[in-house]
Amino acid sequence: MSSKGKRIVVGKMGLDSHDNGIRIIAKWLMDTGYEVIYAGLYNTTERMVQMAIEEDADAIGVSFLGGEHLFYAGELVRLLRKQDMAHVRTLLGGVISPEDVESLRKVGVDAVFTPGTMRAEILERIDHLLMERPSGKRDK
Amino acid sequence: MNQKRDKVSSYLEGERVPHFRSLSEIEYKEVYGPSDWRKELPEPGEYPFTRGIHKDMYRGRLWTRRQQSGFGTPEESNERFKYLLGVGQTGINMDTDIGTKLGLDPDYPLAKADVGLQGTSLCTYEDMKALYADIPLDQVSSTLIVQPPYSAVIMSQYLLMAKERGIEWEKLIGTIMNCALTQFVGPTYQAITTFFPIDLTVKVGLDLMEFIVPRMPRWNIVNINAYNIRETGVNAVQEAAFALSLAVDYIKALTQRGLDVDNFARRMAFFSAAHMDLFEEVAKLRAMRRIWARMLKEKFSAKNDKTLWFRTAIQTSALPLTAQQPLNNIVRATLQTLAAVLAGTQSIHTTGYDEAYSLPTEESHKLSIRTQQIIAYETKVINSVDPLGGSYLVESLTDQMEEKIWELMKVIEEKGGFIQCFKEGWVEEQINEARYKMAEAIENGEQPMVGVNLFREEDEEVKINLFRPESDMQRRRIEYIQDYRKNRDQEPVQRSLQQLNDLVRKKPEANLFEPIMQAVEARATLQEIIDAMREAVSFSIPR
Repeated sequence: MSSKGKRIVVGKMGLDSHDNGIRIIAKWLMDTGYEVIYAGLYNTTERMVQMAIEEDADAIGVSFLGGEHLFYAGELVRLLRKQDMAHVRTLLGGVISPEDVESLRKVGVDAVFTPGTMRAEILERIDHLLMERPSGKRDK
Repeated sequence: MNQKRDKVSSYLEGERVPHFRSLSEIEYKEVYGPSDWRKELPEPGEYPFTRGIHKDMYRGRLWTRRQQSGFGTPEESNERFKYLLGVGQTGINMDTDIGTKLGLDPDYPLAKADVGLQGTSLCTYEDMKALYADIPLDQVSSTLIVQPPYSAVIMSQYLLMAKERGIEWEKLIGTIMNCALTQFVGPTYQAITTFFPIDLTVKVGLDLMEFIVPRMPRWNIVNINAYNIRETGVNAVQEAAFALSLAVDYIKALTQRGLDVDNFARRMAFFSAAHMDLFEEVAKLRAMRRIWARMLKEKFSAKNDKTLWFRTAIQTSALPLTAQQPLNNIVRATLQTLAAVLAGTQSIHTTGYDEAYSLPTEESHKLSIRTQQIIAYETKVINSVDPLGGSYLVESLTDQMEEKIWELMKVIEEKGGFIQCFKEGWVEEQINEARYKMAEAIENGEQPMVGVNLFREEDEEVKINLFRPESDMQRRRIEYIQDYRKNRDQEPVQRSLQQLNDLVRKKPEANLFEPIMQAVEARATLQEIIDAMREAVSFSIPR
């Protein structure tokens, strides 16, 4: 399985604690062979990026249900670039309007998943994204 | 054969649903008859209130239409309140933002991006006055959605406002949600325990209840949030058993403080979900009424009939609502609202069809109210009390639900009660298991969802008007709170905070509600008050 050994930091940022979705996604990722580092709730941008560095992650996955996504996605992508971590893929899910899905892509988020996306599609897209290029720092 | 062809031919052969189980996995029988249920029913308004707590139910008075609302600044929310009252809402359901629900002022670093998004930002006494400008507190009932210890601050703001307007507290009508374990996103461990220590949370909640009971006879001291429990993905039996078990913990704690059960239990209320399984939801609520009545009478020796009344608000469940084909959600919410009415509930929030995208727009809010008005005025379903009573199916299901809920309550009791189960992580385990199961059931089609795992339209382009907060709202709130702290008489603020801090450290048994109210009156902000208590017990929070 191509996804074996790929590492994803998964968590919530800011104060939004709606975590049904992110918990389920974390489990699906683990079930399919990813190594998931679960960051839980209430993370800052700095903490998410720090964890990605420490864990040598290939991707960061976060979700938002309260409208905070544009703020945090922007911060996350900027900080990753600043820290020379732009190879870390950013995955985002949650309650997000079609218009904002476009805005998030423009900001540089690699994949956006909205409610009702089925497991097969989510995993396929993540597999594809992480397969496109070899693992992060390890082959630098 | 490919899946699409397979689907096409199966429709042609006669459509069938995948199974006949309820959402709580009770197997519906092909047909119910006298062998399933043959008993005498009590009259409506008679113990154990299977048929409702009132003899005439909605003939005497319709349920309260109470749409949750709150966003942005208190001034913006006040406008929405007035709009809703103008189109026929009959009660206010005030929701606070997450910062407020975690005791953080808008300029706290981790709170900044969430200000005013999932509710209104409410940190000062002046905020409360702006929120309720022009609204007659003694005529309209209000539900204040906030949990302890923050509920003590918000309740103080409300009471001080009433006092300033010359309205006696005993005339106030409404509810402070005030449930320590369920308010946030249900009883999930990290969400409930990160910003305040759990034992002190429970204690401040009880302090508030103890303060209200002798002073405000028309005010509900707690609303046990079964709805948020359900929205984690657990089933109807778990929703009911968890909520009722938590109520038992509160009753025991208040009794231990020396309060008489007949004085306070009638001011305890519930907030429950109406999911899609119509008969099971009706059965659940009828069973909960029966359990509450029997429990209060037999276990807690209550004597007053009103103590035995299980009263609940309903919100139609948002979990089955879909981002796909969002207009379908209007149909779902209508059926859920009907279930709530058929079950004989006290108030209803009909969830907006745009829930999977944003907070409701004004238009969507109005549609929710109209949905309830159409059911109330046009369908005639309210003309007779408990219209499903005596149905072999509904009565048999009510019996089964009651039995299953009691069974689970017994398990929780043997483990030391709901709060204990929460602290030990048992509740968390149950919730996570339920979440994964729910996701699996949607994936494999066991739980059909039209537009998602059935009748899905690929490449659907959703056109929907969405609510957007004002772009500079967060900045304005941050500036407001910083100015507020600068421009006040500092001495009384510091003194009241010091008193509160001392009390928590030196007299851990003392009731904290009045000292909290004094700090609000001295113009301390929400976070300053909460921080005074955090510091007293050396509790640190993420930044």
